[in-house]
Amino acid sequence: MTERPEKKVGIISCSGEECVEGTISRVATRLVLGKLRPNETVTICLPLFLAGGREEREFARDYPTVTVDGCDKMCAKVATERYSGKPASSLVVTDLTKGWQCPKLGSRRKLNDETLTVTRKVSDRIAEEVDEVLRHWV
Amino acid sequence: MIIIPCSGIGKAFGSISRDATYEVTENLRKETTQTLCLALLVSGDEESLRLVRDNKCITVDGCPLQCAEKNVKLAGGDLAGSIRVVDVYKENRHLKPRGVTFLDRDGQQMAFAVAGKIANKVDDLLREQ
Amino acid sequence: MSEYLQTTFDKFELRVRKGFYYTKDDLWVSVENSKARVGVSDYLQKTSGDVAFIEVAKPGSTVEKGKDLGTMESAKTTVPLLSPLSGTLDEANSKLTGSPELVNSDPYGEGWLVILTPRNLEDDRSSLLSADDYFKLMLEKLQSERGKLESR
Repeated sequence: MTERPEKKVGIISCSGEECVEGTISRVATRLVLGKLRPNETVTICLPLFLAGGREEREFARDYPTVTVDGCDKMCAKVATERYSGKPASSLVVTDLTKGWQCPKLGSRRKLNDETLTVTRKVSDRIAEEVDEVLRHWV
Repeated sequence: MIIIPCSGIGKAFGSISRDATYEVTENLRKETTQTLCLALLVSGDEESLRLVRDNKCITVDGCPLQCAEKNVKLAGGDLAGSIRVVDVYKENRHLKPRGVTFLDRDGQQMAFAVAGKIANKVDDLLREQ
Repeated sequence: MSEYLQTTFDKFELRVRKGFYYTKDDLWVSVENSKARVGVSDYLQKTSGDVAFIEVAKPGSTVEKGKDLGTMESAKTTVPLLSPLSGTLDEANSKLTGSPELVNSDPYGEGWLVILTPRNLEDDRSSLLSADDYFKLMLEKLQSERGKLESR
């Protein structure tokens, strides 16, 4: 692993156009990046990562990553393992929401209030994983 | 017809590509178009690969890196059109979208403009068939 | 040995081309015989986002050091470009009309902006920054402008 001076965690979210959980994954990741852990996290653009983006792949190779997938197809996790290395942690939104007894989630395009509440819970969960990864930083 | 956005997470144009795709597939041309997750093509999902190979695809990319176009081509998709949000911006210079997580008003307007381009391309392709 | 001074900030690699001169406003100058080629630095293109328009003074125009050379526009921002030297604008990069993204993809190469004939090269050059000094300035700017960098 290349020496890197700062403690950072890369978050790789699925793009998930087909389902509302994909949108939740995306928005929750952005909330972590912009509000919850802005100094500790970097987001990896999955389409650029898949297309061979050097900066994205090298970062994911050299820093610990947390993948966030909308569904159990786990595209972000699969891609990270294939191109950079095993993520430090992986979350799947459908697994999380099963445990929370969520209301029926709405549109994949415009998140309603209930879905936004779920999204914030997911972002809190991602932030917890980031904290856990940083606690175990070697 | 399959409309595939890049959905790039780091830029407003990525969010616009996604929203424009929804506008087309859920509203403007909902009878003749659908979308699918770009990442499924790369992970080798057979159903997704079959869809892009058996149907005409239009990619919608946020920036000149054109990740959606590249990945659809790599997957052997039938690429019939490529829209770049940055080109639509050049025709709508007054719009300055700022929001990435949630589109602001300029971002929504740009998404509508991009959706219009996609819909026109869909119509052109249908006429050719 | 690399042609560049390089640093990594978050996931972004930022480069400063050795042998060029720089302004505090993030433009570079490459002296080629008696002419000066001018462009924007890697740092400026990354913080500006995807370039959609480049507008510069017409060939034959007189430009003055520190004054308007043109503008660089993206959806994110419009950056005024201030001339690093005084002199005559000989040539503008015509490729940037159809492909302004060259500024993003190759800021020190194909993304050059203009070629100038300097009026007083030695005087003007003495107030420009060396690559090493600009690199230090860039590092300072990075600390205060976290969050502005965009993926290429």
